[in-house]
Amino acid sequence: MESHAEENRAGENPGTLSAGLERMEARLEAAASLFERTVALMEERESERSGEVRRIVAAVESGREAELEKKLEAAEQQIAELQAQVEAGRANSNETPVVSPRKTIPAVTAQFLAKQGINTLEQVEAGALDAALNGLSLEQRIAVKAQLLRAGVVG
Amino acid sequence: MKLEAMAVHLPDVADHPNRAPFTGVLTLVDEPSTKAPSGARGHRVILTRAAALAALPSLLGMAVDYAPSWDGHDARRKCGIITEADVSGTRLRVSGYLYSKDFPEVERQMRQCSAGTMGMSWELADAHVEDMRADIWTLTRATFTGAAILLRNKAAYRNTSFELGSTRCRNLIAQAAPRSHRTVREEALRTTDGRKEETWNHMQRKTGQARILAR
Repeated sequence: MESHAEENRAGENPGTLSAGLERMEARLEAAASLFERTVALMEERESERSGEVRRIVAAVESGREAELEKKLEAAEQQIAELQAQVEAGRANSNETPVVSPRKTIPAVTAQFLAKQGINTLEQVEAGALDAALNGLSLEQRIAVKAQLLRAGVVG
Repeated sequence: MKLEAMAVHLPDVADHPNRAPFTGVLTLVDEPSTKAPSGARGHRVILTRAAALAALPSLLGMAVDYAPSWDGHDARRKCGIITEADVSGTRLRVSGYLYSKDFPEVERQMRQCSAGTMGMSWELADAHVEDMRADIWTLTRATFTGAAILLRNKAAYRNTSFELGSTRCRNLIAQAAPRSHRTVREEALRTTDGRKEETWNHMQRKTGQARILAR
Protein backbone atom coordinates (compact mmCIF):
# COMPACT_ATOMS: atom_id res chain seq x y z
CA MET A 1 0.00 0.00 0.00
CA GLU A 2 2.80 2.35 0.97
CA SER A 3 4.71 1.68 -2.21
CA HIS A 4 1.55 2.27 -4.23
CA ALA A 5 1.05 5.53 -2.43
CA GLU A 6 4.65 6.53 -3.06
CA GLU A 7 4.31 5.68 -6.75
CA ASN A 8 1.11 7.65 -6.94
CA ARG A 9 2.83 10.55 -5.28
CA ALA A 10 5.63 10.18 -7.81
CA GLY A 11 3.08 10.86 -10.50
CA GLU A 12 2.04 7.41 -11.77
CA ASN A 13 -1.66 6.80 -11.84
CA PRO A 14 -3.26 3.37 -11.18
CA GLY A 15 -4.15 2.99 -14.86
CA THR A 16 -0.51 3.24 -15.90
CA LEU A 17 0.43 0.81 -13.15
CA SER A 18 -2.09 -1.81 -14.21
CA ALA A 19 -1.03 -1.44 -17.84
CA GLY A 20 2.57 -1.92 -16.73
CA LEU A 21 1.60 -4.97 -14.73
CA GLU A 22 -0.28 -6.40 -17.69
CA ARG A 23 2.74 -5.89 -19.92
CA MET A 24 4.94 -7.54 -17.33
CA GLU A 25 2.52 -10.45 -17.04
CA ALA A 26 2.50 -10.92 -20.80
CA ARG A 27 6.28 -10.85 -20.90
CA LEU A 28 6.48 -13.36 -18.06
CA GLU A 29 4.05 -15.65 -19.85
CA ALA A 30 6.08 -15.43 -23.03
CA ALA A 31 9.26 -16.13 -21.07
CA ALA A 32 7.65 -19.13 -19.36
CA SER A 33 6.48 -20.56 -22.67
CA LEU A 34 9.95 -20.04 -24.15
CA PHE A 35 11.44 -21.75 -21.12
CA GLU A 36 9.08 -24.72 -21.51
CA ARG A 37 10.01 -25.05 -25.16
CA THR A 38 13.70 -24.91 -24.29
CA VAL A 39 13.27 -27.63 -21.67
CA ALA A 40 11.41 -29.83 -24.19
CA LEU A 41 14.14 -29.26 -26.76
CA MET A 42 16.85 -30.06 -24.23
CA GLU A 43 15.04 -33.23 -23.19
CA GLU A 44 14.75 -34.24 -26.83
CA ARG A 45 18.45 -33.65 -27.39
CA GLU A 46 19.32 -35.53 -24.24
CA SER A 47 17.17 -38.48 -25.26
CA GLU A 48 18.80 -38.44 -28.69
CA ARG A 49 22.19 -38.67 -27.05
CA SER A 50 21.23 -41.45 -24.65
CA GLY A 51 18.87 -43.31 -26.99
CA GLU A 52 16.12 -43.28 -24.38
CA VAL A 53 12.52 -42.66 -25.33
CA ARG A 54 10.06 -42.09 -22.53
CA ARG A 55 6.92 -43.32 -24.22
CA ILE A 56 6.08 -45.04 -27.48
CA VAL A 57 2.64 -46.26 -28.44
CA ALA A 58 2.19 -48.71 -31.29
CA ALA A 59 -0.79 -46.84 -32.64
CA VAL A 60 -0.59 -44.68 -35.70
CA GLU A 61 -0.55 -40.99 -34.96
CA SER A 62 -3.72 -39.47 -36.24
CA GLY A 63 -3.03 -37.36 -39.33
CA ARG A 64 -5.56 -34.75 -38.27
CA GLU A 65 -3.86 -34.21 -34.93
CA ALA A 66 -0.49 -33.74 -36.59
CA GLU A 67 -2.05 -31.35 -39.11
CA LEU A 68 -3.71 -29.29 -36.37
CA GLU A 69 -0.49 -29.19 -34.38
CA LYS A 70 1.33 -27.85 -37.43
CA LYS A 71 -1.38 -25.23 -37.96
CA LEU A 72 -1.23 -24.20 -34.33
CA GLU A 73 2.54 -23.93 -34.49
CA ALA A 74 2.31 -21.78 -37.62
CA ALA A 75 -0.34 -19.58 -36.02
CA GLU A 76 1.75 -19.15 -32.87
CA GLN A 77 4.76 -18.24 -34.94
CA GLN A 78 2.72 -15.70 -36.88
CA ILE A 79 1.42 -14.19 -33.65
CA ALA A 80 4.94 -13.98 -32.24
CA GLU A 81 6.17 -12.27 -35.43
CA LEU A 82 3.33 -9.79 -35.39
CA GLN A 83 3.91 -9.08 -31.71
CA ALA A 84 7.58 -8.51 -32.40
CA GLN A 85 6.69 -6.15 -35.25
CA VAL A 86 4.34 -4.20 -33.00
CA GLU A 87 6.96 -3.99 -30.26
CA ALA A 88 9.58 -2.86 -32.74
CA GLY A 89 7.19 -0.25 -34.11
CA ARG A 90 6.49 1.06 -30.63
CA ALA A 91 10.15 1.24 -29.79
CA ASN A 92 10.94 3.12 -33.00
CA SER A 93 8.17 5.64 -32.73
CA ASN A 94 8.53 5.93 -28.94
CA GLU A 95 4.90 6.81 -28.78
CA THR A 96 1.83 5.32 -27.26
CA PRO A 97 0.44 2.46 -29.30
CA VAL A 98 -1.87 3.54 -32.04
CA VAL A 99 -5.22 1.99 -31.63
CA SER A 100 -6.77 0.89 -34.85
CA PRO A 101 -9.52 3.37 -35.54
CA ARG A 102 -11.75 0.76 -37.12
CA LYS A 103 -12.02 -2.80 -35.99
CA THR A 104 -13.81 -5.02 -38.44
CA ILE A 105 -14.31 -8.70 -38.07
CA PRO A 106 -16.60 -11.03 -40.03
CA ALA A 107 -20.25 -10.78 -39.07
CA VAL A 108 -20.42 -14.46 -38.09
CA THR A 109 -17.54 -14.01 -35.66
CA ALA A 110 -19.06 -10.83 -34.24
CA GLN A 111 -22.39 -12.60 -33.75
CA PHE A 112 -20.72 -15.54 -32.09
CA LEU A 113 -18.77 -13.28 -29.73
CA ALA A 114 -21.91 -11.29 -28.94
CA LYS A 115 -23.68 -14.52 -28.04
CA GLN A 116 -20.83 -15.30 -25.67
CA GLY A 117 -21.20 -11.89 -24.02
CA ILE A 118 -18.43 -10.02 -25.84
CA ASN A 119 -20.28 -7.09 -27.32
CA THR A 120 -17.53 -4.53 -27.61
CA LEU A 121 -14.34 -5.10 -29.51
CA GLU A 122 -12.51 -2.14 -27.99
CA GLN A 123 -11.12 -4.12 -25.10
CA VAL A 124 -11.25 -7.91 -25.14
CA GLU A 125 -9.67 -9.65 -22.19
CA ALA A 126 -7.68 -12.77 -22.95
CA GLY A 127 -9.45 -14.77 -20.24
CA ALA A 128 -12.89 -13.76 -21.44
CA LEU A 129 -11.97 -14.56 -25.02
CA ASP A 130 -10.65 -18.00 -24.08
CA ALA A 131 -13.80 -18.71 -22.11
CA ALA A 132 -15.93 -17.59 -25.04
CA LEU A 133 -14.07 -19.82 -27.48
CA ASN A 134 -14.15 -22.80 -25.16
CA GLY A 135 -16.91 -24.59 -27.04
CA LEU A 136 -15.13 -24.39 -30.38
CA SER A 137 -12.73 -26.86 -31.91
CA LEU A 138 -9.02 -26.11 -31.97
CA GLU A 139 -9.17 -25.21 -35.65
CA GLN A 140 -12.10 -22.84 -35.15
CA ARG A 141 -10.38 -21.21 -32.18
CA ILE A 142 -7.29 -20.59 -34.27
CA ALA A 143 -9.43 -19.10 -37.04
CA VAL A 144 -11.31 -16.75 -34.69
CA LYS A 145 -8.14 -15.63 -32.95
CA ALA A 146 -6.46 -14.99 -36.30
CA GLN A 147 -9.44 -12.86 -37.37
CA LEU A 148 -9.31 -10.88 -34.12
CA LEU A 149 -5.57 -10.49 -34.52
CA ARG A 150 -5.97 -9.18 -38.05
CA ALA A 151 -8.61 -6.77 -36.87
CA GLY A 152 -6.28 -5.57 -34.15
CA VAL A 153 -8.67 -6.51 -31.38
CA VAL A 154 -6.12 -8.65 -29.61
CA GLY A 155 -2.43 -7.96 -29.45
CA MET B 1 9.53 -72.82 -33.60
CA LYS B 2 10.57 -71.66 -30.18
CA LEU B 3 7.99 -70.70 -27.60
CA GLU B 4 8.75 -68.53 -24.62
CA ALA B 5 5.77 -68.05 -22.35
CA MET B 6 4.84 -66.48 -19.07
CA ALA B 7 1.54 -66.33 -17.21
CA VAL B 8 -0.22 -65.09 -14.12
CA HIS B 9 -2.61 -67.74 -12.92
CA LEU B 10 -6.05 -66.57 -11.91
CA PRO B 11 -8.35 -69.13 -10.28
CA ASP B 12 -10.93 -70.55 -12.65
CA VAL B 13 -14.43 -69.34 -11.96
CA ALA B 14 -17.06 -70.97 -14.11
CA ASP B 15 -19.37 -68.56 -15.92
CA HIS B 16 -17.88 -65.47 -14.36
CA PRO B 17 -20.22 -62.67 -15.47
CA ASN B 18 -17.47 -60.07 -15.73
CA ARG B 19 -14.76 -62.10 -17.43
CA ALA B 20 -14.67 -62.63 -21.17
CA PRO B 21 -11.49 -64.40 -22.21
CA PHE B 22 -9.56 -62.98 -25.14
CA THR B 23 -6.52 -63.82 -27.18
CA GLY B 24 -4.56 -61.61 -29.49
CA VAL B 25 -1.34 -60.89 -31.27
CA LEU B 26 0.05 -57.81 -29.60
CA THR B 27 3.02 -57.25 -31.87
CA LEU B 28 5.64 -58.85 -34.04
CA VAL B 29 9.21 -59.20 -32.88
CA ASP B 30 12.30 -58.73 -35.00
CA GLU B 31 10.13 -57.20 -37.71
CA PRO B 32 9.71 -53.53 -38.58
CA SER B 33 6.37 -51.94 -37.82
CA THR B 34 4.12 -51.24 -40.78
CA LYS B 35 3.85 -47.57 -39.80
CA ALA B 36 5.64 -45.24 -37.42
CA PRO B 37 4.26 -45.56 -33.90
CA SER B 38 3.22 -42.51 -31.99
CA GLY B 39 6.16 -41.08 -30.08
CA ALA B 40 8.78 -42.51 -32.45
CA ARG B 41 9.21 -39.18 -34.27
CA GLY B 42 8.20 -40.60 -37.60
CA HIS B 43 10.49 -43.62 -37.45
CA ARG B 44 9.24 -47.14 -37.88
CA VAL B 45 10.45 -49.45 -35.12
CA ILE B 46 11.68 -52.99 -34.60
CA LEU B 47 11.14 -54.57 -31.23
CA THR B 48 13.88 -57.15 -30.89
CA ARG B 49 13.02 -60.61 -29.70
CA ALA B 50 15.45 -60.26 -26.80
CA ALA B 51 13.86 -56.97 -25.72
CA ALA B 52 10.37 -58.45 -25.99
CA LEU B 53 11.32 -61.52 -23.95
CA ALA B 54 13.01 -59.40 -21.32
CA ALA B 55 9.90 -57.22 -21.14
CA LEU B 56 7.37 -60.08 -20.92
CA PRO B 57 7.16 -59.94 -17.10
CA SER B 58 6.24 -56.27 -17.32
CA LEU B 59 3.35 -57.12 -19.63
CA LEU B 60 1.60 -59.51 -17.27
CA GLY B 61 -1.02 -57.83 -15.15
CA MET B 62 -1.10 -54.79 -17.41
CA ALA B 63 -4.44 -53.53 -18.60
CA VAL B 64 -5.95 -53.43 -22.03
CA ASP B 65 -7.72 -50.21 -22.80
CA TYR B 66 -9.68 -48.77 -25.69
CA ALA B 67 -10.69 -45.45 -27.16
CA PRO B 68 -14.36 -44.99 -28.15
CA SER B 69 -13.26 -44.26 -31.72
CA TRP B 70 -11.13 -47.43 -31.70
CA ASP B 71 -8.14 -45.59 -33.09
CA GLY B 72 -5.73 -45.40 -30.19
CA HIS B 73 -5.07 -45.71 -26.50
CA ASP B 74 -6.98 -44.28 -23.59
CA ALA B 75 -5.24 -45.28 -20.39
CA ARG B 76 -8.30 -44.18 -18.39
CA ARG B 77 -10.50 -46.77 -20.10
CA LYS B 78 -9.01 -49.99 -18.86
CA CYS B 79 -11.40 -52.72 -19.89
CA GLY B 80 -9.40 -55.86 -19.26
CA ILE B 81 -6.23 -57.51 -18.06
CA ILE B 82 -3.41 -59.48 -19.67
CA THR B 83 -2.67 -62.69 -17.82
CA GLU B 84 -0.55 -64.60 -20.29
CA ALA B 85 2.04 -63.71 -22.89
CA ASP B 86 4.25 -65.74 -25.15
CA VAL B 87 6.54 -65.21 -28.07
CA SER B 88 5.97 -67.82 -30.70
CA GLY B 89 8.00 -67.36 -33.84
CA THR B 90 7.72 -63.66 -34.58
CA ARG B 91 4.39 -63.21 -32.84
CA LEU B 92 3.98 -61.89 -29.34
CA ARG B 93 0.66 -63.38 -28.34
CA VAL B 94 -1.32 -62.36 -25.31
CA SER B 95 -4.40 -63.61 -23.58
CA GLY B 96 -6.45 -62.44 -20.66
CA TYR B 97 -9.89 -61.23 -19.73
CA LEU B 98 -12.13 -58.37 -20.68
CA TYR B 99 -14.38 -56.93 -17.99
CA SER B 100 -17.40 -57.70 -20.11
CA LYS B 101 -20.03 -56.69 -17.59
CA ASP B 102 -18.37 -53.36 -16.85
CA PHE B 103 -17.70 -52.65 -20.53
CA PRO B 104 -20.59 -54.20 -22.50
CA GLU B 105 -19.89 -51.84 -25.40
CA VAL B 106 -16.45 -53.38 -25.85
CA GLU B 107 -17.77 -56.92 -25.88
CA ARG B 108 -20.54 -55.86 -28.28
CA GLN B 109 -18.02 -54.30 -30.67
CA MET B 110 -15.83 -57.40 -30.55
CA ARG B 111 -18.75 -59.72 -31.24
CA GLN B 112 -20.27 -57.56 -33.97
CA CYS B 113 -17.20 -56.64 -35.99
CA SER B 114 -16.05 -58.96 -38.72
CA ALA B 115 -13.06 -61.19 -38.14
CA GLY B 116 -9.72 -59.52 -38.63
CA THR B 117 -11.03 -55.99 -38.10
CA MET B 118 -9.56 -55.46 -34.66
CA GLY B 119 -5.92 -55.39 -33.68
CA MET B 120 -3.76 -54.51 -30.72
CA SER B 121 -1.16 -51.96 -29.79
CA TRP B 122 1.38 -51.83 -27.00
CA GLU B 123 2.46 -48.92 -24.89
CA LEU B 124 6.13 -48.86 -23.94
CA ALA B 125 7.97 -46.77 -21.40
CA ASP B 126 11.70 -46.12 -21.09
CA ALA B 127 12.49 -47.66 -24.43
CA HIS B 128 16.09 -47.77 -25.53
CA VAL B 129 16.82 -47.13 -29.17
CA GLU B 130 20.03 -48.57 -30.54
CA ASP B 131 20.65 -45.73 -32.99
CA MET B 132 18.31 -42.79 -33.08
CA ARG B 133 19.68 -41.65 -36.42
CA ALA B 134 18.71 -44.93 -38.07
CA ASP B 135 15.82 -44.92 -40.47
CA ILE B 136 14.12 -47.68 -38.53
CA TRP B 137 14.58 -47.55 -34.78
CA THR B 138 15.66 -50.79 -33.12
CA LEU B 139 14.27 -51.08 -29.62
CA THR B 140 16.67 -53.06 -27.50
CA ARG B 141 15.07 -52.48 -24.12
CA ALA B 142 11.63 -51.45 -22.97
CA THR B 143 8.94 -51.87 -20.36
CA PHE B 144 5.37 -52.64 -21.32
CA THR B 145 2.97 -50.33 -19.54
CA GLY B 146 -0.24 -51.34 -21.24
CA ALA B 147 -2.01 -52.38 -24.39
CA ALA B 148 -4.99 -51.23 -26.38
CA ILE B 149 -7.64 -52.80 -28.56
CA LEU B 150 -8.07 -50.79 -31.72
CA LEU B 151 -8.88 -51.03 -35.39
CA ARG B 152 -6.22 -53.04 -37.11
CA ASN B 153 -5.48 -50.29 -39.64
CA LYS B 154 -4.82 -47.86 -36.79
CA ALA B 155 -2.15 -50.10 -35.28
CA ALA B 156 1.48 -49.52 -36.15
CA TYR B 157 1.78 -53.26 -36.76
CA ARG B 158 -0.79 -54.34 -39.33
CA ASN B 159 -0.57 -58.03 -38.45
CA THR B 160 -1.88 -57.76 -34.93
CA SER B 161 -5.19 -59.28 -33.96
CA PHE B 162 -7.73 -59.41 -31.17
CA GLU B 163 -10.39 -62.04 -30.62
CA LEU B 164 -12.82 -62.78 -27.86
CA GLY B 165 -13.01 -66.34 -26.68
CA SER B 166 -16.26 -68.15 -27.22
CA THR B 167 -17.90 -67.89 -23.83
CA ARG B 168 -21.03 -69.62 -25.14
CA CYS B 169 -19.05 -72.71 -26.03
CA ARG B 170 -17.35 -72.59 -22.70
CA ASN B 171 -20.73 -72.53 -20.97
CA LEU B 172 -22.05 -75.37 -23.09
CA ILE B 173 -18.96 -77.41 -22.35
CA ALA B 174 -19.34 -76.63 -18.68
CA GLN B 175 -22.99 -77.73 -18.75
CA ALA B 176 -22.37 -80.86 -20.80
CA ALA B 177 -19.34 -82.08 -18.89
CA PRO B 178 -19.85 -84.07 -15.70
CA ARG B 179 -19.24 -81.91 -12.67
CA SER B 180 -15.78 -83.01 -11.71
CA HIS B 181 -14.87 -79.55 -10.43
CA ARG B 182 -16.12 -77.64 -7.44
CA THR B 183 -17.15 -74.04 -7.48
CA VAL B 184 -15.32 -71.56 -5.27
CA ARG B 185 -18.26 -71.44 -2.86
CA GLU B 186 -18.42 -75.22 -2.58
CA GLU B 187 -14.68 -75.34 -2.05
CA ALA B 188 -14.91 -72.71 0.66
CA LEU B 189 -17.75 -74.57 2.43
CA ARG B 190 -15.88 -77.83 2.17
CA THR B 191 -12.78 -76.26 3.66
CA THR B 192 -14.74 -74.63 6.48
CA ASP B 193 -16.55 -77.89 7.31
CA GLY B 194 -13.26 -79.73 7.24
CA ARG B 195 -11.69 -77.26 9.61
CA LYS B 196 -14.65 -77.55 12.00
CA GLU B 197 -14.37 -81.33 11.93
CA GLU B 198 -10.65 -81.22 12.60
CA THR B 199 -11.14 -78.83 15.52
CA TRP B 200 -13.92 -81.04 16.93
CA ASN B 201 -11.74 -84.17 16.68
CA HIS B 202 -8.83 -82.35 18.29
CA MET B 203 -11.01 -81.19 21.17
CA GLN B 204 -12.34 -84.70 21.61
CA ARG B 205 -8.84 -86.15 21.75
CA LYS B 206 -7.74 -83.53 24.29
CA THR B 207 -10.79 -84.17 26.48
CA GLY B 208 -10.16 -87.90 26.28
CA GLN B 209 -6.54 -87.45 27.27
CA ALA B 210 -7.52 -85.22 30.18
CA ARG B 211 -9.97 -87.87 31.42
CA ILE B 212 -7.30 -90.57 31.24
CA LEU B 213 -4.85 -88.37 33.15
CA ALA B 214 -7.46 -87.59 35.80
CA ARG B 215 -7.94 -91.26 36.43
